[in-house]
Amino acid sequence: MKDFLDLILEPLNELFTKFKEFVPNFLAMLVILCIGIFLAMIIKRFLVKFLAAINFDSWSDRMGFTKIMRKGDLWSKPSAILSAIVFWLLIIVTMMSSLNALQIPAIDNLVGEFFSYVPRILSAAIILIVGYLITGFVSRATLIAAANSGFHYARILAKATHTLLIVLILAMVMEQLHIAPSIVLAAFSIVFGGIVIALSIAFGVGGIDAARRMIEKESIPKHEEPEKDEIEHI
Amino acid sequence: MSDFYQTGIITTLHQLGKPSLERLEGDLYRFSRVRPIALVLPALYSEFEGPAMQGIIQELSKVKYLNEIVLTLDKASEQELKHVRELMAPIPTEVRIIHNNGKRITEVYETFLRNGLDVGQAGKGRSAWLAYGYVLALGRSDVIALHDCDIITYNRELLARLCYPVACPNLDYVFCKGYYSRVSNKMNGRVTRLLVTPLVRSIQQLVGQHDFLSFLDSFRYPLAGEFCMTTDLARVNRIPWDWGLEVGSLAEVHRNYSPRRVCQVDIAATYEHKHQALSPEDPGKGLMKMAVDICKSVFRTLASEGVVFSDGLFKSLLVTYLRQAEDTIMKYETDAMINGLDFDRHEEAKAVDTFTKAIAMAAEAFMENPMSTPLIPNWNRVTSAIPDIFDMLSTAVEEDGN
Repeated sequence: MKDFLDLILEPLNELFTKFKEFVPNFLAMLVILCIGIFLAMIIKRFLVKFLAAINFDSWSDRMGFTKIMRKGDLWSKPSAILSAIVFWLLIIVTMMSSLNALQIPAIDNLVGEFFSYVPRILSAAIILIVGYLITGFVSRATLIAAANSGFHYARILAKATHTLLIVLILAMVMEQLHIAPSIVLAAFSIVFGGIVIALSIAFGVGGIDAARRMIEKESIPKHEEPEKDEIEHI
Repeated sequence: MSDFYQTGIITTLHQLGKPSLERLEGDLYRFSRVRPIALVLPALYSEFEGPAMQGIIQELSKVKYLNEIVLTLDKASEQELKHVRELMAPIPTEVRIIHNNGKRITEVYETFLRNGLDVGQAGKGRSAWLAYGYVLALGRSDVIALHDCDIITYNRELLARLCYPVACPNLDYVFCKGYYSRVSNKMNGRVTRLLVTPLVRSIQQLVGQHDFLSFLDSFRYPLAGEFCMTTDLARVNRIPWDWGLEVGSLAEVHRNYSPRRVCQVDIAATYEHKHQALSPEDPGKGLMKMAVDICKSVFRTLASEGVVFSDGLFKSLLVTYLRQAEDTIMKYETDAMINGLDFDRHEEAKAVDTFTKAIAMAAEAFMENPMSTPLIPNWNRVTSAIPDIFDMLSTAVEEDGN
């Protein structure tokens, strides 16, 4: 009879012991979560005020970031959106830290992987921002240079440059984030290679004469410069 | 039938005989291939509940030469916007609606504000300005026509005659203003008859010949809300957001272009729209508010062109104006008698008293702060401050449309 009772009570005891071990961890998780959310809210509020003080919204309007947001149907202020992004990043970090407090091995691995992924997210964000700025600069420079050279399709050329650079930057970002790297690489190679082949064929078919003229111009030896007159004209 | 006399320094295009509407519209259809025409309609939702808008929609349904219609809708909820869309559906021309109270357009206004561009308070001026911006953003039209949405006697001939001088590639007009007589069983249009014309002539009497005064006096109906212009003009012109909209716009046209490139056209035999109350006791509303804003606009424009205003000049102006206005009442009384129209001389005199008060108030406000300007920056300055504003504006309208 005693053995039978032990059979029943032993799992219950074990469950109770595990529960006793779990409760402090769970409470620690709740405390970390509450403090994290509270801090995230304070940081968000501070960030909104800071961004307003440095005229971030106006800067964003001029740099073209607001336009990108509007294209994505985001109609809040850029400062509000940046603050919201920071807030939710902090919430995710808080949740990961709080889950870590439960000391469950599976979750510990997940948290470890998340924190090792964070630097990649940051570098991808930097590539995206810097890349976008460079793209704007290069496409603008292309437009001005082409328009000043009297090229009729200056605007199309500038837009093509802009699109190609955006494709390149997005590929770099995806590669950095390790999102299907082989597919990204293959897709990028196909798209870029395709464009280059298309341009080569277009030039080869439509610009044979122009190419010939250019080659002939380069291959004909330059005439020797006439001897300088020794008399100096005033 | 109208006379054929050319008044003032701008060209006047009269309605002589009975010009064929079919010929006019046929010509406009050909012109529109070279110079595509956009129609801008600044409207309140309440105007869709009145009788005027139904007639306007019916008439616009028959117009084939328009490239696009941009309707700026004010004081409307999301539900009311949907209703307006349904009402505008019979019009075959593409209709784009700018929902002034929508979330996206509100954010566009916020963008102007945070970049130091004061676009003023809501009203016809601001709505028209935003619609010009949208037409410029799309870049599909070379000519912009605008008329009010409360015209009860609307006829598509009005639009055709308004567009013709600017749309015709063989003519060199950049701005065309409509004119008409505001007559029912009596004479309407008190602000033009009893304020603007006597005021302009009184100032001319005091300060002598002045280019802008001659220009303003050349218009038969300077406060008409119907005009047509090139998109180049819409890009460089600043417009006031208050009641000085019409006079302020004319001042900007005068500043930027030669009077040789400006004309006025007879667009309707009769014209009837909603009337404003005189409101002699409250300078914040009705014709009184309108009169104060118009006077301020005239004073500001003249001051910017070098006319020196002083207390003495304003005191003389009040007396001169009163004499001019009394003479004008007498002229219109005779005009009404010969045409068998009702004419309430007492009401006309009361209007003149109110306008005299308005001139005094405008003079006081001008002396207190001559720099106060309700002009909305032109689109060249806006695109310089916010290079992507056209993209943002067109995205906002498109998303609202979806």
